[in-house]
Amino acid sequence: MKPTVDVAGGASVLDKRLASLDDATRDLARTADFGKPTKLRRVLEQLRRVLLQPGGAAAVQARAQELEEAGLFLGTDWATPEILVPSLVGPGLHSGEADTVVMEATSELRTLAVAQGDYEHPTLSPEDARQFLSQVLAMNLELLFTPPSEAERTRQGRTAQLIRDLFRHVAEEVGYDVVLDKLVDEIWRILRQRPIQVDQVTSLITRLSIWRGDPDVDLSSGQGLDRLITALFGTTEACREDPGFDVFRSRLEAMDAGGLQYEASGFARAMHDTGLVSPYHAELLQFLRHEGDYLLAEALGLSDTGKNCLLRYSDLVHRLIEVAVTPQTAQAIYGLALLLDRGILHEPPIVPSLWRQIALELSPAARERLVAAFGEEPAPEARLLAGVLSMLGLPLGVGQGDNPTCQSARALSMWAYNDPDYLLQMVVWAARDDEIIMHFEGQRISSQESAGGVAQTLPVDLDPVSLLVVPHLDRIYAEMGRRCADRPGDPHRWVNPEFHGWWAARGFHINVDVATGNLVDLDDFLRQFHASYHPAYNGGQPLIHPQPAGVAVTDSAARYVGWHAITVLRVAADPQEVMRVYFYNPNNDSGQDWGDGLVVSTAGNGERFGEASLPFDQFASRLYIFHVDPLEHGEKEKVPAGDIERIIGYIERSWGSDRLPGGELQASDGPAPA
Amino acid sequence: MPRPESVSKDPEKGFVALLGWSLSAVEALDRFDRRYVVVAPDWAEEYCSEHEIPYVPWNFERLNDRSLEIAETLQEMGVDVAIPLFEETVEWAGAINSVLLENPRLFGQAMLLRDKALMKRRAQLGGIRVGIFEEAHDRDDVIRFLKRVNQTLLKLDGDPNDPIHLKAFDKAGCLGHRVIRTPDEVDTIPDEEFPVLMESHLDGWEFAVEAWVHNGKIKFLNISEYVTLGYSVFVPATPELERYRPQITAQIEKLIKTFDIEFGFVHPEYFVTSDGEMYFGEVAYRPPGFKVFELLERAYGFNAYQALVLAFDPRTTEEEIDAFFPTEVEDASGVAGCFGVYPRRRVVSELQIPEETEDDDYYESHDLSAPLEETVTKRTAFGTHWGLLYFFGDDPYRMRDLLKKQEELDFYV
Repeated sequence: MKPTVDVAGGASVLDKRLASLDDATRDLARTADFGKPTKLRRVLEQLRRVLLQPGGAAAVQARAQELEEAGLFLGTDWATPEILVPSLVGPGLHSGEADTVVMEATSELRTLAVAQGDYEHPTLSPEDARQFLSQVLAMNLELLFTPPSEAERTRQGRTAQLIRDLFRHVAEEVGYDVVLDKLVDEIWRILRQRPIQVDQVTSLITRLSIWRGDPDVDLSSGQGLDRLITALFGTTEACREDPGFDVFRSRLEAMDAGGLQYEASGFARAMHDTGLVSPYHAELLQFLRHEGDYLLAEALGLSDTGKNCLLRYSDLVHRLIEVAVTPQTAQAIYGLALLLDRGILHEPPIVPSLWRQIALELSPAARERLVAAFGEEPAPEARLLAGVLSMLGLPLGVGQGDNPTCQSARALSMWAYNDPDYLLQMVVWAARDDEIIMHFEGQRISSQESAGGVAQTLPVDLDPVSLLVVPHLDRIYAEMGRRCADRPGDPHRWVNPEFHGWWAARGFHINVDVATGNLVDLDDFLRQFHASYHPAYNGGQPLIHPQPAGVAVTDSAARYVGWHAITVLRVAADPQEVMRVYFYNPNNDSGQDWGDGLVVSTAGNGERFGEASLPFDQFASRLYIFHVDPLEHGEKEKVPAGDIERIIGYIERSWGSDRLPGGELQASDGPAPA
Repeated sequence: MPRPESVSKDPEKGFVALLGWSLSAVEALDRFDRRYVVVAPDWAEEYCSEHEIPYVPWNFERLNDRSLEIAETLQEMGVDVAIPLFEETVEWAGAINSVLLENPRLFGQAMLLRDKALMKRRAQLGGIRVGIFEEAHDRDDVIRFLKRVNQTLLKLDGDPNDPIHLKAFDKAGCLGHRVIRTPDEVDTIPDEEFPVLMESHLDGWEFAVEAWVHNGKIKFLNISEYVTLGYSVFVPATPELERYRPQITAQIEKLIKTFDIEFGFVHPEYFVTSDGEMYFGEVAYRPPGFKVFELLERAYGFNAYQALVLAFDPRTTEEEIDAFFPTEVEDASGVAGCFGVYPRRRVVSELQIPEETEDDDYYESHDLSAPLEETVTKRTAFGTHWGLLYFFGDDPYRMRDLLKKQEELDFYV
């Protein structure tokens, strides 16, 4: 025999595996496209074995071009690196499917080879490659710093370590500094949407602050990181060196009014700047409860409206702080401050509802769920009250977590925004009775009696209010849908108004034929949307109530992803005089790229915290369901044909590309589908 | 991205028809200089037209009145020879080639190679040693045979019986292969498996041969060593088995003479007993299962399907085929082996390659799929494995031990 493997017996494990990988790659390369699937297994398996070895990532990077040219990525999304989405890399790498992990990892190393100029790629520029990797690193930074969790270990075995080695290699090649800037930008971008849940962000900032303490780290980058770190740690003079609550408290006790005011305004500024609240802030508030409302208002950073509410309902606010504000629930301070600033305490039912909430006894089931998700400290009652403050203060900060329950998250957000005492009632039913009863066209629907909801398993990654209420809402929502099963057309027509509230208008428009999935009545649909929502065609009427709507979400290549529930909040001109739709998206991050130039903006175009926005026509091009008051007509015939054509163009280039049956399209004078 | 060009076809060389669908075979021919056409059932049509693979639809049922039709179709297309890829298409190849090559005897030859009982008789007539065999039509026949075989072996009442083997007449490899030791076990054979071929058990070392034949001469002879039948095989064999190569070659020459094989490919199985005597098991006129062709490519670098075409193509020259094949054993760059995985537990939930296997230098890849059902169907006959593990290394003895060791490991837990 003529051995090629154990060359002189001195070859390392990595060399041997590489020899086998190279042989497999050659075999793949010489095979016609249709036969490649038969050769792929061996390449993937050898790639994985190489990546498990020290130095494996660099070796694969060096072979990236050969692997891609051999057809490794053929027929997959990885074949077009120019449209890959950084946020999908994480899920790919955490897949339980070993082949997916290997493909994803190899794609990263390919991108790295392109970024380093070692591989001149036909469709991906080094700049774009570098940009992509920076984003990937920023979004998966925990892979650089943390060992695999128990869950990862069980699901992925040694692959969990493989992806960590991969990321260390990528970060070393790309440079941590680049990552840091991007990472900090990313954190700021998320925080500008003012989410209720900030656990992920705070744990990341904590890790970064530890990493920054390393004397080897170059401190020239990371603009804005200091603000984030100090919002959580060392916010003010009295807690500069993170001295612990006892020392902090004794320092407060020794302060005069001027010193306390300085502390109060320091915390308030940090909180309103970032949306993050330091645990020391909780300690300060508890201390200031005994020092008078002026300092309390200062520590909450209240506006005139907020101060007015605080002074008017001082007993209630003091009691809310006393019960709900603890170092573990410090974020509720921000909720409380915004709640007061919204002035909703002046609505008659709110104050008594909050007193009821303070005294509420939870059902054993509710206590159990809260303890399972958040731990014993503070008590579940306090945890829930803190959650209520957050939701009432940040109605647009509600997120659906990693659950398919966008409808329920949207409902909670809508009630917190528009009908807060109804929300407080829902919370009581869910938390005290473990049952919510709603009515659908006069028929009673109980969440306890209804079968399964949209979600297959109970969600855990939610804020306290969502954690208790969403499972009930989800079942009721699904039951309402079941009761419409035998009706023709889309069930949202009936479900949405019954589920959300009387203000969800009864007039209903949809541009998709439920039976075929094809687009129908497109021209009229779009004109009607203008006539109802666009101030130029509806008599200049601003939107009064938030309205449920449905959008066809597309990915960054403008391909259809799925139907999604959102809320239209307002339609107005932005600072550049572009008419925009401002909406709420229950996804945890609303800043999404929907392809074909549609990038949902979350800041910088007149958005309020938590709002997402798109220019009116771009928004209309992804819309498939909206509600209107049928008695208000608007002037739909005045909408210029050119505007409608432009919108149809967006539709044809994205989710509508395969939904346009020939000849049935009403606005057929538009450009033909590509 | 550079797409591998389909190799341009040489009109001076043969035009072959592949009987049956095998992606590996088509892929290999796509990069070979012979024109080819795939003859396969109509479910392959969409795939073939999508990938511009030359294709003629045909459903291979039992031979019937229409059999001539496909032969004529291929003849009109200018096809020189048909190559069977599966056991079920061997008789079709015989029928078609008897037309294409104007040699009616090819059909009779194919029928011999398709029926295990006829095959053994013919071998016996040719002076090849075979074990005791008989056909069984019902369970009584099986019990009688089991008793007679053990009487012949001078067993006394109460001595443990030597087992007998039951095989379907016309199925490939281990399909329908059962081992029977006691009359009780006979009851477990379902009615629909009859008639079957019964054989006495040979206490020998079983191995298989792949031989490419051109103009009645062996052009390449591979010996595939089984570690455990139905579990594992590797090529080339250990020196221990390779030392029989001259005797084995002589046996194969006897075989192709007895069966009158002028061209093509044979895949027989033999036992060699402790005293060096060779017993013929059976022979197939088609590529072996268990991915032996892939193993050969890994070990020697030549593509065994392309070799198949060379051996069948009547226009292949002696020089061309001699140049194509490497020298047996000497030219192998290593030993390639594979192991068929059966779940060992009754209830499984996931596929997990043991670290012991995965970390071995010789381990290369696997094509196991995740379990679809949690309960493992009880194996009655030899059954079908759930996928293969592939190994490659230098030392045939280490390969043998490694493959043996896999039998003790759980891949489905």
